[in-house]
Amino acid sequence: MPLVEVSNLVKHFLVRGGVFNRVLRQVHAVNGVSFAIEKGKILGVVGESGCGKSTLGKLIVRLLDMTAGKVQFRGQDISHLSASELMSVRRKMQMIFQDPHASLNPRMTVGAAVREVVAFHKIVPKREIRDEVDALFAKVGIHTDSQEKYPHEFSGGQKQRVGIARSLAVNPEFIIADEPVSALDVSIQAQVLNLLMDLKDEFDLTMLFISHDLKVIDHFCDSVLVMYLGFVLEELPCRDIQADALHPYTKALLGANPVADPTQRHELTVLAGEVPSPYDLPRGCPFAARCELVTNQCRQEMPPLVEKESGHRVACWEV
Amino acid sequence: MISSLRRLFESRAARKLRRDNGALVALLVICVYLLVTIAVMCNAISLNDCSQVIGPKSAAGFFLKELPERRFEIARTSMLKPVARALQNSDPTAALADVKLGRWAVADKRLTQLQKIVSDAIAIQHELEKSENLDQAPELEPKLVEFERKTAELIEPLSRWDRLAQNAAMLLGTDAQGRSIFFRALYSIKVAIQIGVVTAVVSVLIGAILGAAAGFFGGWVDHCVVWLYTTFSSIPSLVLLVVIAYAFSASDAKETLLPVYVAFCATFWIGTCRVVRGETMKLKQLEYVQAARTAGFGSARILFRHVLPNTAHLMLINFSLLLIGAIKSEVILSYLGLGVQSQPSWGIMIRDAGNNGDVMSGFFWQIGAATFFMFFLVLAFNILSDALQDAFDPKHL
Repeated sequence: MPLVEVSNLVKHFLVRGGVFNRVLRQVHAVNGVSFAIEKGKILGVVGESGCGKSTLGKLIVRLLDMTAGKVQFRGQDISHLSASELMSVRRKMQMIFQDPHASLNPRMTVGAAVREVVAFHKIVPKREIRDEVDALFAKVGIHTDSQEKYPHEFSGGQKQRVGIARSLAVNPEFIIADEPVSALDVSIQAQVLNLLMDLKDEFDLTMLFISHDLKVIDHFCDSVLVMYLGFVLEELPCRDIQADALHPYTKALLGANPVADPTQRHELTVLAGEVPSPYDLPRGCPFAARCELVTNQCRQEMPPLVEKESGHRVACWEV
Repeated sequence: MISSLRRLFESRAARKLRRDNGALVALLVICVYLLVTIAVMCNAISLNDCSQVIGPKSAAGFFLKELPERRFEIARTSMLKPVARALQNSDPTAALADVKLGRWAVADKRLTQLQKIVSDAIAIQHELEKSENLDQAPELEPKLVEFERKTAELIEPLSRWDRLAQNAAMLLGTDAQGRSIFFRALYSIKVAIQIGVVTAVVSVLIGAILGAAAGFFGGWVDHCVVWLYTTFSSIPSLVLLVVIAYAFSASDAKETLLPVYVAFCATFWIGTCRVVRGETMKLKQLEYVQAARTAGFGSARILFRHVLPNTAHLMLINFSLLLIGAIKSEVILSYLGLGVQSQPSWGIMIRDAGNNGDVMSGFFWQIGAATFFMFFLVLAFNILSDALQDAFDPKHL
């Protein structure tokens, strides 16, 4: 049984306005996403900004309410749990946020922020809270003496480490990392990624890793979900993405990646056109307007997500 | 506690505030006012000091020289007249014991001596009365001085402390009822600050809690709060204040400050509510609030520990703005006779000064003292709240 199973997840944001607060239009942020994560695995989610990656993460931890679909955690359907029932699930499911500067309360010392979580969930007896938090800070590589400092006294990378310590404080099994390194310097990115890697082994974590950087995902994840306009276009294992990728959008993403080796220099393939508006989705494949291989069928009908081989699913009529 | 105080002192806003000389002067002025308030609360000036007759009516303060006509009037009426009348009483000793003007009592002399002084003084008085207008008769000046000296002999000399206290009370003269203007103006500081602080604290608390709840929970809570404050703010606030003050005028609470508090708090929370609601809506989207949600914290904990503390700067600015607003409105209400009832207030002093037509005849020290004390307090708070706004504004360097 997979640890997390998401089936047909849909989220529409309603834009209200006018007289009597009518629903003017709907933003189709996530459109029928399904996947499963086995225990101990890391699933990457990649896509352009606005493709619904972060919304997907927030739907799974129930920061947002889903419009339709189902999220199962350890076989339990958590999509309609009440706030009090969610409590026990939240202990097992945590989130690391994108912007380390905004993810810590500016009026609380970082130590207090982590201690609050430990105390609230009664992870350890009262007397041991301080030791527990000391240990957590040591694990994420923050000096224990810095606990009484306020967030503004830390650098971005350090704040992200504090954020990681806070999400680990409840001993979670599953972590959703929403672009945890995209706001950091490249040199710091590697440090934080390695830290996450170590902690994953130490805490036996399962992860959903959201990023817009295929290289990071390739380095970090077991498999990757490619999203476009709220749809999953391809899911493939991270063995050799470059060779395995089938969907034209995945290939375009890979082609847009600059390579640091001058001998490997190639023309960057830049996609033409714009992402269709999420207000009114195209009838057929969402990628049809920008796809090289587009046919009439693509414009008329959304291709189903078909399993090409074990763990590799593609939604495209042409491959 | 100490560390958070130190942090407050070392914060960017506090550093910016310390660089602002105007703000520091304003703070100093406010501290002086606060000291007076504390002194009054410790009964350094009692309500009795303010309502007691301490000398001749409408006497001038130290900074004004009385005109000869007024000096003659004061010397004639304050002691000479009552003593002369008492001496004609069937029991002069008892009648003399009753003659008092504030701290002044009749001099401890034998009746014959007193009789002699009175008849001498009345002789001089008759001479002086021959002149139509003493103001235009400088040649009578020595006579007037002699008259004043003579009448002063009727008064028992004050002990050194009493004399000091008397001089202090007479510093800014007396009002039309012979009460000390200085003491009344000082006591009004306490009344003003008390009303200002109580109203501002209560209004900021109500506004912050309603605003934070509205912004945080949204939905019907938001609808209710917005409806409430749009309704309240559509009523002209001064009219509402008058109505509430009238509503209380028949009740037992009339003599207390309660009507004023209720009237002010009913309208003053609106501004705070609006800004805190907006800020909360912004904060609620921030990731640390979402992180608190994913940590499983309840709404109350998130609201009180993660949202409200981050609106503290707005509350501080609103506090100082409301304080000035309350003080100014208190003066207006008291001027209209609907505010403070049984205590001195700048508004009452201004009204009294106007009512007796005294201002027109050059009796300006009552209205002058009231406006002077009010002006510096309001100015200082205005400068301070301006400086606070700048200090907390990240775009302002």
